[in-house]
Amino acid sequence: MSQKKADLAAVSTFADHEVILPPNKLKKAVQKVKPGTRIDFDPVANAEAALAELAEDFSGWMDQECTRLDTARNAMKASGISKRTRDALFLAAHDIKGQATTFGYPLVQPVADSLCRLIEHTPDMMRIPLGLVDQHVDAVRAITHRNTRGDSETNAAKLAEKLRHVTEEFLAHENRDRPEYLESILAPTIAPGEPT
Amino acid sequence: MIRVDFNRLRFLVIDDNAHMRRILRTLLHGFGTREVYEAEDGAAGLEGFTHYSPDIVITDWAMPIFDGLELTQMIRQPGANSNPYVPIIMLTGHSEKKRVIAARDAGVTEFLAKPISAKALYGRVLNVVANPRPFIRTKTYFGPDRRRNANPNYAGPERRKGGKADVIKQQPLLDKAKTTA
Repeated sequence: MSQKKADLAAVSTFADHEVILPPNKLKKAVQKVKPGTRIDFDPVANAEAALAELAEDFSGWMDQECTRLDTARNAMKASGISKRTRDALFLAAHDIKGQATTFGYPLVQPVADSLCRLIEHTPDMMRIPLGLVDQHVDAVRAITHRNTRGDSETNAAKLAEKLRHVTEEFLAHENRDRPEYLESILAPTIAPGEPT
Repeated sequence: MIRVDFNRLRFLVIDDNAHMRRILRTLLHGFGTREVYEAEDGAAGLEGFTHYSPDIVITDWAMPIFDGLELTQMIRQPGANSNPYVPIIMLTGHSEKKRVIAARDAGVTEFLAKPISAKALYGRVLNVVANPRPFIRTKTYFGPDRRRNANPNYAGPERRKGGKADVIKQQPLLDKAKTTA
């Protein structure tokens, strides 16, 4: 069966690589708008408005995420550290790290981030300090539940900074024989976030 | 000016967290998309990818069974599915440098660090729709060109070898695989 020209990939072959121009299937969604054309629909503003309508559910969702984190912490303490209990705790902390700001709890994010680093970068998982895990989980819960109190912002920032400091000292010690690894986890992020 | 007609795009959202899937669905519908499919882990995501043939995949990284990185590697298998070129946007809480590089080297098209915002997500979708990048195949890599820009200050040797290339229209990879099987 013959192929339509538009369905074909153009391939340029070089000595050690190929450059492929795939068929552009998304061309159908590109709209070219002439300068000065009146546009009534702003997709970003519309999406932000839709998200704002959802926001009334966010505090309940954050409570559920905190409960999940607490349950994972308790399971680790009751059953001991294993791949299963470690992964459950990490995923719970990781989800809070990614969602807390969206849910309106930006002060929780750095604490959850610190907990993720503690779990992920302790080379021997049996040496993950449960006391420090406890402090992180309790801090996440406390900051979440006191989110609306005016005096809580400074205290939350101080608490997050302290936990981060203790965690980084611990990780530096645990990874003292792996300087390259340590350097890689201390490197500044290059992750793109908001467009500038 | 370029705009995206979201009504003409089909999305597959893969995230193990139901709250994040709901947020993504809300944002995409807000942009004007009608077709948004969801999967809650990498395995279901791969199945959904085959079943729904999405135009764009948005995936989390940290998920049970197999994660977003492994899913990307499975999709970027020439001949293994109908569209190994599909744009993949990795939306993740991971933000460390080594993670971003690992995602790029697995064949991710765009990387977006959480927290999510409507503006950032729109920007990533606009980029994959309006500025599609060529794909590069080497012995160790198949995916979007990792060189987004020519760096005028680069002073090292050219790592890609070969002079002028022959440009040949070829069959799509899946058809090629089928006919040679």
